[in-house]
Amino acid sequence: MDWLFFGEISLAGLAMGGLYALIGLGFVIIYKATRVINFAIGEIMMFAAYLFLAFAGGMEMSPWVALPLAVLGGSLLGGVIEKIMIRPMLGESSISVVMVTIGIASILVGVVEMIWGADPQLLPSFLPRKPVFIGEMYLAPKIAYGFLIGAALLIVYLLYFRFSRGGVALRATASDQAAAYSMGINVRRVFNLAWVFGSLAASLAGVLVAATGGLSPQFGAIGLSVLVVVIVGGLDSIVGALIAGVFIGWLETVAGAYLGGEYRMPATFAVLAVILVFRPYGLFGTHEIERV
Amino acid sequence: MFKSILSKGRRLAGIGSIAAALVAAAPAVAQDKDPIVFGGSIPLSGVFAFAGVHLHAGLTDYTTWINSQGGINGHPVKYVMEDTGYEVDRSVAAFKKITGSNTVPVYYGDSTGFMKTIASELNSRGTTLMSGASFATALTDNEQYPNQFVPGPNYTQMFGIILEYIATQGKDGEKPTVAFVYSDTEFGKDPIENGKAKAAEMGIEVVEEIVTKPGSVDVSAEVLKMRRARPDFVVFHGYVLSPINEFMVQMRQMGLDTQFMGTFWSSDKLIINKMGEDADGYMGVMPYNYYDSAEGGPMLDALRATAEKSDPDAGYRPTGYMQGWFNAMVWTEVIKRTMDAGKELTAENMAESLASIKDWDTGGIIGIPVTAHDMSFPVGRIWRVNAKEGRYEPVSDWIHLD
Repeated sequence: MDWLFFGEISLAGLAMGGLYALIGLGFVIIYKATRVINFAIGEIMMFAAYLFLAFAGGMEMSPWVALPLAVLGGSLLGGVIEKIMIRPMLGESSISVVMVTIGIASILVGVVEMIWGADPQLLPSFLPRKPVFIGEMYLAPKIAYGFLIGAALLIVYLLYFRFSRGGVALRATASDQAAAYSMGINVRRVFNLAWVFGSLAASLAGVLVAATGGLSPQFGAIGLSVLVVVIVGGLDSIVGALIAGVFIGWLETVAGAYLGGEYRMPATFAVLAVILVFRPYGLFGTHEIERV
Repeated sequence: MFKSILSKGRRLAGIGSIAAALVAAAPAVAQDKDPIVFGGSIPLSGVFAFAGVHLHAGLTDYTTWINSQGGINGHPVKYVMEDTGYEVDRSVAAFKKITGSNTVPVYYGDSTGFMKTIASELNSRGTTLMSGASFATALTDNEQYPNQFVPGPNYTQMFGIILEYIATQGKDGEKPTVAFVYSDTEFGKDPIENGKAKAAEMGIEVVEEIVTKPGSVDVSAEVLKMRRARPDFVVFHGYVLSPINEFMVQMRQMGLDTQFMGTFWSSDKLIINKMGEDADGYMGVMPYNYYDSAEGGPMLDALRATAEKSDPDAGYRPTGYMQGWFNAMVWTEVIKRTMDAGKELTAENMAESLASIKDWDTGGIIGIPVTAHDMSFPVGRIWRVNAKEGRYEPVSDWIHLD
């Protein structure tokens, strides 16, 4: 066995998995606080990536100015969606809310096609192009630097949720909405904050993934692939999303390299099927017990 | 700002739609004879819209041009289309609607899936000859699809032309090695088995075969496989842009001197516009002259003049435009031959007329006279990107497969 090849493949997979973890985090933050499964997460990623294209390409801003602007734009979009379209659905069945998010996804695709057209796009190059070697192992520079940027945001998030007032409010609301409300936490504001933070993580991942693989109005489909990550990790577990994201990224890449590209998805869905049979609430998800 | 970020394709679609509507609505003032209807399921929206808007513009402009030339044997031409969103069910619905209210001798299908789905109905009706966006090998099977043709070489034949070119590029009597990279779709897999057989027959070793998801994907692991296989040529199929750019950039970063090639839908100027300098040296097989090539000819000049007149601001017209125009040219030739032979415009008669096309001068759209072979036109040329000039330039003669 070529261990160098295995090492290089694993590195590439782990780095890509880091980006999956970031998207998964966006999914989980929203679900954990609001119990809404956001099927529009991929399209929010896509929208942020198109914003980056407009800022860095069309308006010729520095990519390092365009990146935070695009990410902020994506997170703002998440906040607006929550306020205008999700909040009125409070108290409705979860299926209705899910359908609304699917509708939002379609609207975003339409908006993007109207503004930017249907042509596939490449983002202006902004990550270093010099090959990265870890020992003798090669790692594509876009993946390596994308992973580092994503990891930096993950660390900021983890610190924020652990130590800040907003983070504590978010965790408290996720644990028990009624108790949080009775303790004076503005639960509605927390809901909005969750959409803003979730969309922010997804937006950054969107720009980084689009910088690697290109962009088109169908880009949002990647959000559904990441659904596997959050189901495996547990829909309401941040740690689960991080671990499952990295694992699924690695598995997908190794399966693609050794079995062929057509086995990437079957490999991850096989894991999903096994997890659903033995731990339907995911590896780290909350096992809710209902007593009759 | 808003105006500046509107894509050129959308403007063309808008203008094309208005022009099509005008053509469709206009009474046959120039000629007294019944109009001949060109029908079409056209993907103006959805995943194939980037090409659909240009196909539509090509068909629309050709209709304008042929009517300015007196139509087909004095019959005016009417182009009737519906947007399908590149969805098979909507394409089928459009076909039924258009053929239900018009007599449609020729029809544009927007996908291989639609053309296969509609085949049995097409065969039982026997009224309509169909071609379209697809160059699928299966559609050139006369037994199963006797009423459908492809407007150029099929994908297997494109691989044949590419391999013929690669075979001439060996050094010291050795044949170059090749790797195939294709998307995990029916489109992507189409020519692979036949391509491998053809390569083996020609003594070209296929050192790697990589299949990826279509569209936006990370291919760094696949590039690592290429680093070990070190092919002289990589042939892409089943993509429009990504991940071709990533393979090229990353393999060059690794110091490989591999050359990169692609088939029809991977060989538009989009590659140059989006990749810039990184696209330099990329090669594609193309059955038609590029809109901005140095080539000329009466029909190519007419195409350029009509395109310029219909939308003076559009500038370069993509290969989809050329494809739409050429489809309509073949329809015209087939209808004309059938009428001249005194036969009815049935699918069978028109298919016979198509098969009779031999050494046909396309007026510069294709650089050499072409002969129809098994419902296709197996001809093409290899073009290479000159990034500095921002265009493709020919690097081979025209190759006509037997």
